[in-house]
Amino acid sequence: MEDQKEKRLADIREKLKGLLVENLSLEDVTPDEIKDDEILFGDGLGLDSLDAVEIVVLLQRNFGLEVKDMEKGREIFYSIDTLARYVYENTKNKS
Amino acid sequence: MQKAEASRKIEARKRGNRPGFWFFRTSVRLFGLRGTYGFLYIVCLYYALCDRSAISAALSYVDRRFPGSGFLRRRLDVYRLFVSQGKQLIDRYAAISALAIFDIRIKGYEQFMALVQDSRQGLILLTAHVGNWQIAMTTLKDIGKTVYLLMRPEDNPAVQDSLHISREQVHIKIISPEQHLGGVVEIMNVLREGHVVSIMGDRSYGFNAIEVSFLGEKAWFPHSAFSIAAAAGCPVVVLLSVKVSAHRYVVDVSNVLYPRYEGRRDKREQLQQWVQKFVAMLERYINQYPYQCFLFHNVWREESKSATG
Repeated sequence: MEDQKEKRLADIREKLKGLLVENLSLEDVTPDEIKDDEILFGDGLGLDSLDAVEIVVLLQRNFGLEVKDMEKGREIFYSIDTLARYVYENTKNKS
Repeated sequence: MQKAEASRKIEARKRGNRPGFWFFRTSVRLFGLRGTYGFLYIVCLYYALCDRSAISAALSYVDRRFPGSGFLRRRLDVYRLFVSQGKQLIDRYAAISALAIFDIRIKGYEQFMALVQDSRQGLILLTAHVGNWQIAMTTLKDIGKTVYLLMRPEDNPAVQDSLHISREQVHIKIISPEQHLGGVVEIMNVLREGHVVSIMGDRSYGFNAIEVSFLGEKAWFPHSAFSIAAAAGCPVVVLLSVKVSAHRYVVDVSNVLYPRYEGRRDKREQLQQWVQKFVAMLERYINQYPYQCFLFHNVWREESKSATG
């Protein structure tokens, strides 16, 4: 059970990294170079608020998810890992 | 950064403060609109002669709009701008407080209403510090959607008091760009619900700006409205208002842009083209109504690329 969860989380992380590289203006960055716990905004990967717009749309288009709770937004958008966990928690009953 | 922020807040308190609003409010009640305009000529003379920061803020625009002017002409232009802005502030208060009736004609109203009603993704209302955008907002209270203003609620409490803008107000609400990720999550949510988001196209509010040509020089304008619209798949309606006589305004919402990224072309390049289109509209407006441009923020300064306000 736990293995399945970890595998699913790893798959989501990989997918998210690919989507970020494909859709955001990340110059000369490959999906493999993004660390799971790297901070996405500000220091770290250096994304800005307008990249957040793209991530909101990516979550909606690829996972059917809407981030409604603004307070939770800060922790959800912290890193690839937190994003992946949010996707996992909110899609596990769908798959 | 903190110093600049503190300075901005002090300046906001100095001009348009509560005693000032009280004075003009009382004057409108006692002497009417034209009588109050009379006081304005004296008050603005003080600002145009003594308020260095206000003069400097206005000169960045005046020097580009009227290049080659001498000292006196520049000061006169600053004075005319201050008087014009003051009149529009008084009008705004008088309109909202029902102390005067203004004839507000909306150019492009039917098209705008069709967009509001058809749009399942909401729309972005892109405006600027020209004319009386707040008086224009009062005309939108019956469109059946909430208008969310992207602005700092703390910017000038006295202005908000006078406009009766509050977080509780039903038809006009505020989204603060100072919340996490500049409020984009909230913006995307309200657009998805079909509402209207109003963004100032000449202030960065922490969002990144892009280089364009404005009044013959390189300038930096934010691209947030277009980035958000392209991602959300919603239209951008440009709102420009103009005072055409003492009791008459025209609000133009006839210009609509549909930003959509084309293929894998550089997004920044595409954003730049959309922002330039908007800036070209502003230029046409400014050429026609030079004393209704209240762009008291130096968009020509390179630091405006990532300006905070």
